[in-house]
Amino acid sequence: MSVEVRNIIKQFGRFPALHGVSLKVESGELVALLGPSGSGKTTLLRIIAGLEFPDTGEGRVLFYGEDVTDMPVHKRRAGFAFQHYALFRHLDVFENIAFGLRIRSHRTRPRESEIRESVEKLLKLVQLESLAKRFPSQLSGGQRQRVALARALAIEPKVLLLDEPFGALDAKVRKELRHWLRQLHEEIHVTTLFVTHDQEEALEVADRVAILREGRIEQIGTPEEIYDYPATPFVYDFLGNVNAFAGRVHDGSVEIGESKFAAPETVGRGDTDAIAFVRPHDIHVTRRPGGPAKLAARVVLCHAAGPLAHLELERLDNGGRFTVELSKEQLHQLAPKPGERMFVELRNVKIFPEDYSI
Amino acid sequence: MLRLRQRGVLPGFRLTLGYALLYLSIIVLIPLAATFAKAGELSPLRFWHDITTPRVLAAFRLSFGAAFLAALINLFFGLLVAWVLARYQFWSKRIMDALVDLPFALPTAVAGITLATLYAQNGWIGRWLAPLGIKVAYTQLGVFVALMFIGLPFVVRTVQPVLEDLDLEVEEAAASLGANRWQTFWRVIFPAARPALLTGFALAFARGVGEYGSVIFISSNLPGKTEIVPLLIVTKLEQFDYPGATAIAVVMLVASFALLLLINLLQWRSSRYYART
Amino acid sequence: MEAIAAIHAARPAAQPARRSPTAESPFVRWLLIGSALVFLSLFLVVPLLAVFVQAFAKGPGFYLKTLTDPATLSAIKLTFLTIGIAVPMNCIFGLAAAWAITKFDFPGKNILTTLIDLPFSVSPVISGLVYVLVFGAQGWFGPWLVAHNIRVIFAVPGIVLATTFVTFPFVARELIPLMQAQGRADEEAARVLGSGGWQTFWRVTLPNIKWGLLYGVTLCNARAMGEFGAVSVVSGHISGGTDALGTNTIPLHVQSLYDNYNQTGAFAEASVLTFLALVTIALKAWIERKEARLKL
Repeated sequence: MSVEVRNIIKQFGRFPALHGVSLKVESGELVALLGPSGSGKTTLLRIIAGLEFPDTGEGRVLFYGEDVTDMPVHKRRAGFAFQHYALFRHLDVFENIAFGLRIRSHRTRPRESEIRESVEKLLKLVQLESLAKRFPSQLSGGQRQRVALARALAIEPKVLLLDEPFGALDAKVRKELRHWLRQLHEEIHVTTLFVTHDQEEALEVADRVAILREGRIEQIGTPEEIYDYPATPFVYDFLGNVNAFAGRVHDGSVEIGESKFAAPETVGRGDTDAIAFVRPHDIHVTRRPGGPAKLAARVVLCHAAGPLAHLELERLDNGGRFTVELSKEQLHQLAPKPGERMFVELRNVKIFPEDYSI
Repeated sequence: MLRLRQRGVLPGFRLTLGYALLYLSIIVLIPLAATFAKAGELSPLRFWHDITTPRVLAAFRLSFGAAFLAALINLFFGLLVAWVLARYQFWSKRIMDALVDLPFALPTAVAGITLATLYAQNGWIGRWLAPLGIKVAYTQLGVFVALMFIGLPFVVRTVQPVLEDLDLEVEEAAASLGANRWQTFWRVIFPAARPALLTGFALAFARGVGEYGSVIFISSNLPGKTEIVPLLIVTKLEQFDYPGATAIAVVMLVASFALLLLINLLQWRSSRYYART
Repeated sequence: MEAIAAIHAARPAAQPARRSPTAESPFVRWLLIGSALVFLSLFLVVPLLAVFVQAFAKGPGFYLKTLTDPATLSAIKLTFLTIGIAVPMNCIFGLAAAWAITKFDFPGKNILTTLIDLPFSVSPVISGLVYVLVFGAQGWFGPWLVAHNIRVIFAVPGIVLATTFVTFPFVARELIPLMQAQGRADEEAARVLGSGGWQTFWRVTLPNIKWGLLYGVTLCNARAMGEFGAVSVVSGHISGGTDALGTNTIPLHVQSLYDNYNQTGAFAEASVLTFLALVTIALKAWIERKEARLKL
């Protein structure tokens, strides 16, 4: 029951949106399409739904192995949820959900009692039983999105497609619904594809994440895979904050300034300039030189924000700036003062050859 | 008594409101009051008699009936025109879009003589209908055609903005749920346009009931058959039957005010419907 | 999501089976467009053409003769006199009412707005009748007017009053939603900076509303020039000549010519009013396009 796209190319006038994208979503999987705006993720989703068509060529969309590339949207049974819900304002919640069932042709239309049963089951699933008679204008954003999901699920779709479903909601509601969506998926196991630009959301909810950039898939993998083993600097940077240290690869280690850090993955690459990427929380700061802390830097400023603190430092050798993330406790222990000289140890360094750019 | 307290930071409240109320009273309220007062001078029995003679009743039937029918047919054509203007691009669209306002901007007398000439037996349009046995000029059908002409812009201009503002995503949602194009139109688009259609109907109907200039040329104005209420009022005035004319006028005024209230109510309700929270 | 709108507007040639989900089949589309065009041509274009064709049916010479006829000139003079009084007065009222309603909050605001709409919903004939009942020989002020030898009804003042009544709401109806949408922020900012009442109005409000005001005045003017029913009731239907103004406005004179079997002459005079209507329509379309561009 898989959903697959092969070699999808799409241009809007002179703007190329997708450059030959291929992706397979296994039956019952929840895959996130993650990327910045303009990366083509919504376009890809809409092509799968049938709301857009790929440029003529070898681009194919397959549902359960069947080629649906030329099939109009209303025959595909792809449930779609929009960022702004697109609920029918003249219908109450019950009728919104029942819509897909009521419009079926006489042969396939379920009986009234069956429709009622299905809708009530869905209302229970999305926890909105008490709101069946309300109209969309009387609901909150989070409630509306749940109605939209129930409405899409009512037609027993082959695939569920969610376009930035929580994008229009505020942060707290977004977090709650994220969690709720994951639980929902555990319960009903519909093959699902959802688009987001929020990396935290993608990593928390999805079975696999596909990162898109400028119309191409940079990397696909489980959340752990892509976080721990990013394939490109773009992926690395997109999934969290990153510091870039200019240096040189030499003999299986990378030299940053006067300090040397082991970099076994660079063995055999010869001597090149390189950029080392380190996450802010993977940098250890001390006053005492020697030992693993090798790079000298000066404290520029220190800023506490909630449970964490950020320390901005400047390299003494080339003036490059970087940010370190500390817990409140670590900050109090260190008690840094602006202008003070510190020594940093870089852990978990990832090297990409110089010609990559974020 | 309304106390004109200075409200807000901006100046000129008392001046502008005072002048506006004064002007309103002189031009509108006092003359209207005079009408009701004059009608009040009639005994209720006389009043009732004046508005229920066969001739008057026939005029009411024609004015209200033709206006109702014209507004009804305009719902269909008005929706068609509004849809085509809102959704499609085609040659001459800009001109057609502007021309929809013609019946509204054109003086009624000009519309009247033009329609009468066009639909006469030898007129440009009338000559095509004559062999089919259809007489438009000098019949009740002519009254209907004239009222359709002047009512059209009211329906189109009320519905057009609604159709233009429709959210495409809602149509996409309907399609993704399995609706074909007709189902999407009938179950999603049409219900969204219904409030505007109702308002447009009421506006066209209200205008048609009181219409004078466009109708009297194309109608044969035969009492009891093709005489509209406004003409009846004019005739009574010419015969110096002021009480009779006033009685009929009061009935029309009450109907107009009721329609005005209805229209305002409809517009208020539809603005709530379209309001986004 | 901006790209979505772009592709709906500029769809490249797609394969036959692939149609945008929010578009009808080409057949349906052209059927609808065709029907609408046939209907509009029949209902709007043909009458418009008919006016001008009929006006010139006896040649341009006859056309000019009609327009320069003393009766016609007198009608034109009376019409201009009427609009010269009615339009500015209604314009001032419109500005005052719109200012009061949109820049302040007070109880009964909605009632006032509805009252302003009253003349719009009243039949033109009744609009004339109400003045007969006030100023006519048997009206409220009738005896007083007769005693002082002042003629209002069946004379020019009556015509001016009736026209004022009928065109009463036009400027206000145009300005109120416009000024409502514009809000009070600009004027309040000017006040804070020390601007006086009139200054604020001239320098801040007026530039903002100039197009809406222009359109409202144009509509008011067009309606005032073309008003028929109301004026017909209060007028004496006397054609003017070289010595007297008469009591026929242009529309009444058109009726007079038509009823006296001078169809061509009637249409000749009507063509002037029709031209004015076309100017009004063109102005509206132009203003709407201007405002749409400003909104973006």
